[in-house]
Amino acid sequence: MLKISDLTARVAGKEILTGVNLTVNAGEVHAIMGPNGSGKSTLAQVLAGREDYEVTRGSVTFEGQDLLAMRAEERARAGLFLGFQYPVEIPGVNNVYLLKAALNAKRKAAGEPEVDAYEFLALIRQKMKFMQMSESFLTRGVNEGFSGGEKKRNEVLQMLVLEPKLAILDETDSGLDIDALKVVSTGVNSLRDPARAVVLVTHYQRLLDYVIPDQVHVLSGGRIVKSGDKSLAHELERRGYDWVMGTQVA
Amino acid sequence: MSAALRSFETQWRTRARDALQPIREAAMERFLKLGLPSLRDETWRYTDLRALAGQSYRDAGCETPGAASLSASLSLDNAEQHAATLSMINGCPVLPADLPAINGIEINSIRELYNQTPNSLRRFFDSASDADQRRWVLLNTALFIDGLYLKITKPVSTPIVIRHVSTGDGAQSAHPRIIIDVKPGASAIIIEHHLSEGDITPLSNSNTHIALSQDAQLEHYRVYATGSGATHLDALDIEQAEGSSCRQFTIALGGGLVRSSLEARLSQPGASLDSYSLLVGHQDRHVDCVNIVTHAAPNTRSRQTARAIAGDVSRVIFNSKVIVNAGANNSDSKQSCRGLLLSPNAEIDTRPQLEIHADEVKCAHGATTGRLDPDMLFYLLSRGLDRETAQSLLVFAFLADVLTGMSVSSARSAIENALISQLPDSQTLRKFR
Repeated sequence: MLKISDLTARVAGKEILTGVNLTVNAGEVHAIMGPNGSGKSTLAQVLAGREDYEVTRGSVTFEGQDLLAMRAEERARAGLFLGFQYPVEIPGVNNVYLLKAALNAKRKAAGEPEVDAYEFLALIRQKMKFMQMSESFLTRGVNEGFSGGEKKRNEVLQMLVLEPKLAILDETDSGLDIDALKVVSTGVNSLRDPARAVVLVTHYQRLLDYVIPDQVHVLSGGRIVKSGDKSLAHELERRGYDWVMGTQVA
Repeated sequence: MSAALRSFETQWRTRARDALQPIREAAMERFLKLGLPSLRDETWRYTDLRALAGQSYRDAGCETPGAASLSASLSLDNAEQHAATLSMINGCPVLPADLPAINGIEINSIRELYNQTPNSLRRFFDSASDADQRRWVLLNTALFIDGLYLKITKPVSTPIVIRHVSTGDGAQSAHPRIIIDVKPGASAIIIEHHLSEGDITPLSNSNTHIALSQDAQLEHYRVYATGSGATHLDALDIEQAEGSSCRQFTIALGGGLVRSSLEARLSQPGASLDSYSLLVGHQDRHVDCVNIVTHAAPNTRSRQTARAIAGDVSRVIFNSKVIVNAGANNSDSKQSCRGLLLSPNAEIDTRPQLEIHADEVKCAHGATTGRLDPDMLFYLLSRGLDRETAQSLLVFAFLADVLTGMSVSSARSAIENALISQLPDSQTLRKFR
């Protein structure tokens, strides 16, 4: 589904990704871990199509298409979803309006008719209930005045409504209390499907107790320095990132 | 003496005298003595009138234009039932013979009414002032052919629309005049819609005077939607008595050079003004908006909310001032000015000012100007929205504080539609990050 080869990228003139190689197949959940400043969020943003991040080398294919040749909105419509580490507040743009516009953009790209207003509202209410979100969400601006936890729930809600083929969740677990973490994890698990894939970018192993990954990768210095199964996450938790960074030198 | 001034003097000399002659004479004398405002004048520092001053102007005349070619980028007339739609062609009122009698509204020609009962109107022609923002009002007083006097005596809930049509060429001038007199306890919604026949129009120097009696209420709109070659100088005067409230919307969506002023005087306790300005710079438009709000009595309240957007090579200015007179304690004022630049070659200037002579006041002001937030834009794009939609969503979100205040939904949707057509396309915006 996703194949990243020798990807290097610069942000504000500084090389952050220095040669990332990663293959994610349909049906898989991958976790990308790593210390602060290792390039995890940059990788997520580059994959989602952030324009001010400059790709200097390498290639990325998504379902066989050249992802880097697509604009951010085209990537989204093709089924790629980024759950933001810091979702922005957009006062004056209604949450529900954004969800509907996003869903319709995807449907239009797939040659489907726009969603029926009544069905759409029913769908939103059902997903909101699943994510344990309050009704007031419907009338508020995008993430406006939301707590950190509410913002993350909103990211997962958007993901559940858009049903992406590939979800990249950038530290969706950070800042959540244990109850919220469970709700978010249930949301992510509900999307697990042989036809979909999930990439979890996380600093901590905690989330991986609830969403069990097929593979765990350690990103350090802008490239993946170690890969393994879920036991790697536990080992990192025990031994710290210094341990892997040591292997990088060796 | 500039060519413009000479030509205005010529117009003045050849005018037929009427009952307003003494008032007009005093105004013209003062105007000629003061001359045209220049960049040295405080309220004109952003608008250069030298090109205008070098031209000569003759009277624009009152011919009815062909209705087909009006710059009707805005259609405010159709969508909703109106109590009345009135027209002014180059400042000449066109009063249909069978003007429907509307409960609570009296509509008259200013000249005719002044002929009959000068005392009822005299207070609307204030004595000549030296203030630089009043120079063009002096000229209007001297040269206006006729105008509309609207007296509101009861609560009227359906909007009254005044269409100001500008037609002719750039070597002509017109001086539209409106008086809105809302009697105690009465209320109205009045929309002044300025449009033109074609892009080139006479110089328009308009003045509207609003007087709100005790506990009167008014929602007033002035919408500039003339062609791109139009020069429009528009002055609005508001005086408010005890307990009156005014909601005023100034919407700039057209014209080449627009100079718009609002001077409000909260004369008695309990008077309240909400002023909203939506200023759109498009192509090479120049929009200069000057607000001066005077709290002249205790317990008065004013709010000014200005949202400016500027694309292409346009320039938008919002220059506002709140004056609290001595003794006007417990005055409460807020000025919020925000600008959004949509092009690297556009310019926005905001300048909120305070002049306080009382001790117990609550006065706040703030001004910011920036570009579309790239994080917000990326967030919307990452959800699959196309750029045009994402950008207009963000622009509309930016303007929401003004748009949501409008109670006339047909006016609001017409204004929103006109706005969409003036937003830069995504190609242009993308180059500007």
